[in-house]
Amino acid sequence: MQGFIVEYLPILVFLAIAVGMAIVVVAASYVAARHYPDGEKLSPYECGFEAFGDARRQFDVRFYLVALLFIIFDLEVAFLFPWAVALGDIGVFGFWSMMIFLVILTVGFVYEWRKGALEWE
Amino acid sequence: MLHVALVFAPLLGAVFAGLFGRVLGDGASRLIACGFMTVSALISIVVFHQVAIEHETVVIELMTWMDSEAFEVAWTLRFDELTAVMTLVVSVVSCLIHWYSIGYMAHDPHVPRFFAYLSLFTFAMLMLVTADNFVQMFFGWEGVGLCSYLLIGFWFDRPSANAAAIKAFVVNRVGDFGFALGIMAIFLVFESVDFATVFAAAPEVAGSSMVFLGREFDTLTVITLLLFVGAMGKSAQLGLHTWLPDAMEGPTPVSALIHAATMVTAGVFMVARCSPLFEYAPDTLMVITVVGASTAFFAATVGLVQNDIKRVIAYSTCSQLGYMFFAIGVSAYSAAIFHLMTHAFFKALLFLGAGSVIHAMADEQDMRRMGGIYTLMPLTYAIMWIGSLALAGIPFFAGFYSKDIILEAAYADGTGFGDYAFGLGIVAAFLTAFYSWRLLFMTFHGRVRAEPSVMARVHDAPKIMMIPLVLLSLGALFAGFVAYGAMVGEGSGFWGGSLFVLPENDTVAAAHHVPFWVKASPTVLAVAGIGVAWWFYIARPGIPPAIATMHRPIYVFLSRKWYFDELYDLAFVRPAKRIGHALWRGGDGRVIDGFGPDGVSAAVVRLAHRAARLQTGYVYHYAFAMLVGVVGFVSWFFYAIGG
Amino acid sequence: MPTVHAVPDLAPALPEVILAVVAMALLMLGVFRGDGSTRTVSWLAVAAMAVAGFFVITGPSDGVVTFSGMFVVDRFAVFMKVLVLIGSALALVMSFGYLRDEGMERFEFPVLLVLATLGMLMMVSANDLMALYLGLELQSLALYVVAAFKRESLRSTEAGLKYFVLGALSSGMLLYGCSLIYGITGATDFAALSAALSGGGEVPIGLVIGLVFLVSGLAFKVSAVPFHMWTPDVYEGAPTPVTAFFAVAPKIAAVALFLRVMMSPFGGLVSQWQQIIVVVSIASMVLGAFAAIRQDNIKRLMAYSSIGHVGYALVGLAAGTAEGMRGTILYMTIYLVMNVGTFAVILNMKRAGAMVEGIHDLAGLARSRPLMALAMGIFMFSLAGIPPLAGFFAKLYVFLAAVNAELYALAVIGVLASVVGAFYYLRIIRIMYFDAPSEVFDAPVASEMRVILAAAAVFTLFFFAYPAPFLAGAEAAALALVR
Repeated sequence: MQGFIVEYLPILVFLAIAVGMAIVVVAASYVAARHYPDGEKLSPYECGFEAFGDARRQFDVRFYLVALLFIIFDLEVAFLFPWAVALGDIGVFGFWSMMIFLVILTVGFVYEWRKGALEWE
Repeated sequence: MLHVALVFAPLLGAVFAGLFGRVLGDGASRLIACGFMTVSALISIVVFHQVAIEHETVVIELMTWMDSEAFEVAWTLRFDELTAVMTLVVSVVSCLIHWYSIGYMAHDPHVPRFFAYLSLFTFAMLMLVTADNFVQMFFGWEGVGLCSYLLIGFWFDRPSANAAAIKAFVVNRVGDFGFALGIMAIFLVFESVDFATVFAAAPEVAGSSMVFLGREFDTLTVITLLLFVGAMGKSAQLGLHTWLPDAMEGPTPVSALIHAATMVTAGVFMVARCSPLFEYAPDTLMVITVVGASTAFFAATVGLVQNDIKRVIAYSTCSQLGYMFFAIGVSAYSAAIFHLMTHAFFKALLFLGAGSVIHAMADEQDMRRMGGIYTLMPLTYAIMWIGSLALAGIPFFAGFYSKDIILEAAYADGTGFGDYAFGLGIVAAFLTAFYSWRLLFMTFHGRVRAEPSVMARVHDAPKIMMIPLVLLSLGALFAGFVAYGAMVGEGSGFWGGSLFVLPENDTVAAAHHVPFWVKASPTVLAVAGIGVAWWFYIARPGIPPAIATMHRPIYVFLSRKWYFDELYDLAFVRPAKRIGHALWRGGDGRVIDGFGPDGVSAAVVRLAHRAARLQTGYVYHYAFAMLVGVVGFVSWFFYAIGG
Repeated sequence: MPTVHAVPDLAPALPEVILAVVAMALLMLGVFRGDGSTRTVSWLAVAAMAVAGFFVITGPSDGVVTFSGMFVVDRFAVFMKVLVLIGSALALVMSFGYLRDEGMERFEFPVLLVLATLGMLMMVSANDLMALYLGLELQSLALYVVAAFKRESLRSTEAGLKYFVLGALSSGMLLYGCSLIYGITGATDFAALSAALSGGGEVPIGLVIGLVFLVSGLAFKVSAVPFHMWTPDVYEGAPTPVTAFFAVAPKIAAVALFLRVMMSPFGGLVSQWQQIIVVVSIASMVLGAFAAIRQDNIKRLMAYSSIGHVGYALVGLAAGTAEGMRGTILYMTIYLVMNVGTFAVILNMKRAGAMVEGIHDLAGLARSRPLMALAMGIFMFSLAGIPPLAGFFAKLYVFLAAVNAELYALAVIGVLASVVGAFYYLRIIRIMYFDAPSEVFDAPVASEMRVILAAAAVFTLFFFAYPAPFLAGAEAAALALVR
């Protein structure tokens, strides 16, 4: 059990560094940067919307559509990185597996294109 | 083959008329039923000659009925002298009544059903008398009870008929329970239900004792008393007689066949059949004597004040059955069966005669609305006279021979019970003559009391009804005279081994040596009864109402039939109804239904309501339920495994 | 480990490959030809299912594994896949008329159904926790979409959303359970898990908790109590053909998955999970029986009915024996036929062009449509479990298995629940045959509907005459599962 947990030690180190880094960066900006606060700057900001108001307000679903499509291809890229690194080890089968995955994604892409999901107007 | 046909021909008739009556139509189905019945009657004459005259006992085993190691019962037809007499009476009377019914029931909408029942009854009765073991006899016994029920309630649209049918069934059930217990006791003691085996073993069993209801009793006394309870129910003896008068709700041919000539005598037949048992149970015989004599007297007194023509005859039947039983009680079995036979003829005759009067008077049964019709229906009038003369025991008519030998045997018995029976029998003979002529006079003589419109149509019945009447009247005239010597004559070997009498009990033999006044007194009293009736209803019609008002309590007591119905109503019917009602409302309604079907269905609806309310429609409720489920399972496992 | 990199044998997965390729091809066809091609796409989808079914039947069936042991094809998989394909294909065929009349003829519908079916086939063949999740999610994602397919209907979108939210929750629980199991045993492969757990000895508590979470996730998919809450709302809200689809194919696939997971990797822990299954089964039977009584919407009623039937099917699983598996497999077979038949009737409850869903709309059906009423009567009697109809035998076999496994309480409660359940099935019959007639349903009934209705009724009615092939098939499938 001991060794099992020790395997995760790098992750713990990584987390500690990440948290520490974030604190350092935020603190540094307070220390080093110049401050000219005004009302606009201090108000909470959220994705281009009014932060306070009716939460049931309707807004364009296209925002989400674009975000979703972005995430899909973002994840695709996230898959591609480890694949590219390990390509030498996984051989032909590994290569064609990713190709099939990309074909499937492409089919989806063609579908959304033809459906007009990419057009704003 | 002949013997089998004798028994089963009526069944065929019943099947055809009953199952295919609609297809065949009224005419064909009644002809078929009557045809089969006639075949049966003709065979019964042949069989009577073979068995009773030539003394050829026939036993035919048809098939095994039940066979389970210790308990074996077969369908067997047994024809000995006793059976031959009974089949002859049953078949012939039934055949005549079948033909009579064609006329009587002509306008009824349910003719095939009527004939099916009538034939089925005859079949059951023949099964009863030809039985070779107690179980088969019980089959016939219940069969005739069922047909009696069906026929009493034949006009099912009359509430009174339904009530009477139920009453007959229930009262008979009391008797049947005794009979069934008796059969069980017989099997327990003798380990067999075959007549031959049981009767052969009876002398050895005599004197032994058995435990019944927690106490020791003489074995045969217990068995025979139980059997006699069955006979009391079927033969309407005092105590279990209440159904018989009500049974007159059935069509008149039914009253004639079932409730006069045949079924009600089944009890007499059964006891006579079991004479080898009863002979060894002197206590039971005493009971029978007392019950029979009391019934004879009781029924005769009630018959005095009845106004319904059929009820008078019904009470008369009850009374005559009493005669038969006290004859048995004094061991005069042959006399009892002799009277049974003559009675079958003249009582059927009286009933059918009354039926043709009722038929003529537009279904009027109350004698107070009759009168003055003897010139209009002379043949019926003559027949009623013959029947009444035979009933009253006027010399040379059938009843004279049989009734006298019974009374003489009772006298010859010499015991106190015999004297009791003789005394009551003599009085009842007087009363019998009185009410018979009261009936004749009220019905046929005196003022015309019916509506003119009814009177206009009064006439003798059609030929199809009159011919059976004439044939029956021949029986009422000559049956006693012809059969006297053979059946109860001195030293006659007619009965062979079918009736058993201990030598010291042979009252029939002794009856031939009683003083002359004993022989003469029934006749004298009967004539006196006729005279008094004439005085009351022809010469001085004012007397009966005067007596009725003067001795009002007695009159009411008699007309209420000694309050038997009221007593039973109070003692049994009402409490039973109350218990039933309580069990229905409280036991069944509240407890069983309340916790059973009703309670369960109410609970189901309540639970369903709650279960449906669980479904709120909020996603977070649903998610919560899921999490609760998971947490519940996990904690349960911690508890079950970890704890 | 060179074997990992070898190209796996695709032959056992041929039906799945076909469906995947066809799904993409149809998507392309549809998107280039527009919604006018829906009919073509639909029929092609049905044909693809038929072809897949052909390859399922003719393909290997003796426990072949591929994809590094993640995918197995045995007799059990073959039997259940055939059921799933039949259910999907029939549901698709029955949807034609509805989609046309409701103006919902969009080519995505058949494609989504094909994708869902593909997910189900993978569930049935899953031999690894990851494959299990993959199949489950492929199926679920497609189902979330079709549940909300009637976009302009508030109820339909609500149904889709509820299903999605709760489905995500259940997927989370399932994944959490998987990760716990992996954490304790270090394996996801069913064979490896089975080997690791058959050693006997103390069962780690973490593993049991993982199992509970896994069971909870699966129970959600089969809509067993207390994870059933989505069912009535989704069944009622979803478009009727989608409800029909939900009621048969995914349920069969989920039950198949349930059976495989419980028997194959965790077969050695029967005594551990038996108690959960017994509780879930009893709760489902009882709730299904009671809650349905007050329903007046026939789709909602069928939702509760399906909850109850899952309870009965789980009785066989609770027995944990080959006999029990056979009972459950047979149950799902008969359940499929009865439900397809019932929904064929429900899909014809149309008056003046609009669908009606109240059970009182069935009043007097016996007079206006005697044959349809007769068929519906047969299905209702069968669902109630009245001999000699098929539903009786379905119940008989699972209860017998429970009795032989000495789960007497379960069997008795099951019988009592089916008595209560008979109430609402018979109520429908009463309404059809004895209530004053309401307006007549629209004519004519589409020919494909007639064929489905008649076939289902004949099967239900005459199952007792020749049950041997189904019994034998279920028997073989059960034996493949219980080693």
